[in-house]
Amino acid sequence: MPSSNDRPDVGQLWRNWLVDTERQWNAFFNDVMGTDSFGRFLGGYTEIYTMFQRLVAQNMERSLSTLNVPSRSDILELSERLGGVEERLAAIESNLRALADAVGHPSQPAAVTQLRPRRTRRPRNQPAEAN
Amino acid sequence: MATVRTPGKTPLPEFLQTEVVKRNLDRAQRGMDVLLDRDPPVVGATPKEIVYSKGTLRLYRYRPMTDEVYRIPVVLVMSLISKPYILDLSPGQSLVEYLLREGFDVFMLDWGVPRPEDSRLGLEYYVLEALPRNVEEVQKVTGEREVSLLGYCMGGLFTLMYNGIIHDAPVANMICAATPVDFDGMGLLRRWSDRRWFDIDRLVDSLGNIPPDLILRSFEMLRPAQRWAEYARLLDNLWNDLYVKNYRLFNRWIYDQIPFPGEAYRQLTKELMWENKLMKGQLAIDGRRVDTKAITCPVLHIMAQHDNIAPFDATQPLSTIVGSEDKEDVILKGGHVSLVAGRNAWFRLWPKLSEWLSVRSV
Repeated sequence: MPSSNDRPDVGQLWRNWLVDTERQWNAFFNDVMGTDSFGRFLGGYTEIYTMFQRLVAQNMERSLSTLNVPSRSDILELSERLGGVEERLAAIESNLRALADAVGHPSQPAAVTQLRPRRTRRPRNQPAEAN
Repeated sequence: MATVRTPGKTPLPEFLQTEVVKRNLDRAQRGMDVLLDRDPPVVGATPKEIVYSKGTLRLYRYRPMTDEVYRIPVVLVMSLISKPYILDLSPGQSLVEYLLREGFDVFMLDWGVPRPEDSRLGLEYYVLEALPRNVEEVQKVTGEREVSLLGYCMGGLFTLMYNGIIHDAPVANMICAATPVDFDGMGLLRRWSDRRWFDIDRLVDSLGNIPPDLILRSFEMLRPAQRWAEYARLLDNLWNDLYVKNYRLFNRWIYDQIPFPGEAYRQLTKELMWENKLMKGQLAIDGRRVDTKAITCPVLHIMAQHDNIAPFDATQPLSTIVGSEDKEDVILKGGHVSLVAGRNAWFRLWPKLSEWLSVRSV
C-alpha cells in the first residue's frame, strides 16, 4: 500500500503546470510578436492611434474656440507660465533662506537640509583612525 | 411521528475550525481587500524633505538614521519611466531605509510626473542641466565635494552619460542597476520600434509626451501570459499575508505608470534604439560626445538574468565600455523589479551594495 508521502501533491502539480504553461505561452507569443509582419501591424496601429488623437485634438480645439471656451493649449500655456512663477518664487525663497543663514538667523533650524551628521563613519572591518 | 433531535455537538462548528475552511475564509477576505483596494500598503514612507525643486523635479534628502554617516553621500537617480518609490517601497522592504540604517546619507533625484509642456525636454536637460545642478545642491547641503551616484534603469543611463561627458564630475562611485547600454540586445522592444514601421516623429509630434498606457502595454506585451499567471498565483496564495502584501506593493508600482517626455523618447529611440550609438562610442548630447572610456571612478554594475525590460544582453556589456579599473559585475536571478526590491535584493543585493559602497565612501 502506498504511504501518504507517495501521494502526488495536486497543488504542487498545478503550480508546476502553471509555470510551464506561462513559459510556453510567453515563448509562443514572443515568437509571433517578433516577426516583421507583427512589427508592421504594430506600426500601423500606432499610426492610426496617433492620427485619431490628432483629429480629436484638432476638432476639440475648433469646437472650444467656437464656444469661446479656453482650449487645452490655452490651459497648457497658462500652466507653463504658472510653472515659471513657481520657479521664480522658489528661487527667491531659497535666496532669502541663504541670506537668513548668513546673518545667523536660520529660517528652518530642524530642516533636513540643515542636518550635519558626523561624516566619519568607517566600514565595519575598517577601524577608525586614531587621532 | 415527530423526530426527536438529540442534544449534543453539531458537526458544523468543528468543520468551520478546520484548516481548509480557515484558509478559504482568509482567501475570501484578502481577495476582497485586493479587489476593493482596501487598506492599500504604504509606499515611500521613509521621512524625507525637499532640498531642491524645479518644475516637476524634486531632490529629496532622507533623514539620516545614524548619528555618524559615511563621508560621501549617495544620490539615487531614478528612471523617467516610473515612479521612484520602488526604491523606498515599504517600511522593512526599502532600499533607502536599508542604506540609511547602514549609515549612508541618502538623496533621491525624482524627475516627477512630466507635464504636457515637459514634452520638449530632451537628454540635454536631464544629463547636462538637471543632473549636474542636483549634484551641486547635494554638495552644498553636505559640504562634501564628491558624491556616489546610484542609477536605476534609465537613471543608470543618465549617470553613465553624465560621467561620460563631464570628465571632472565629482562622482566618487557609480552604481548602475538594470541599465541597458547595448540596444542591439533590447529584443522585442527594439524590433517593435524598428524605423521601417515605427514613425517616432509622428508619434511625438502628435502626442507630445508618450502616454503611460502605451508604455505599460508595450511592457505587458513582452510577457503576455504573465498577468493571468499572476492572478492564478495570487488566488493560490491569498491565505498568505506576506504574498498578498508584496503582490499589492509591486502591482501598485507597475501599474502606476507615468508619461514619458516626448523629446527624450525621440532621442532615445533614434540615437540608441536605431543607431546603438552609446555602444559604438558615437553618442553626443548637445554636441558633446559621451566618452564612457573616460569614466575612471569605481563602478558597480548590477543586472538581472531574467530582466524582460532591460534584457541581460543589453545590460551585460556596461562594464566593458567604461574605463574604470575598479569595476565589478553582480548578476542576480529575477527580473527588472525584483532586482532592486524583491527577496534577492533584500538578502543578496542590498548587503553587497552596502559592503561595496562603504569601503569606497570614507
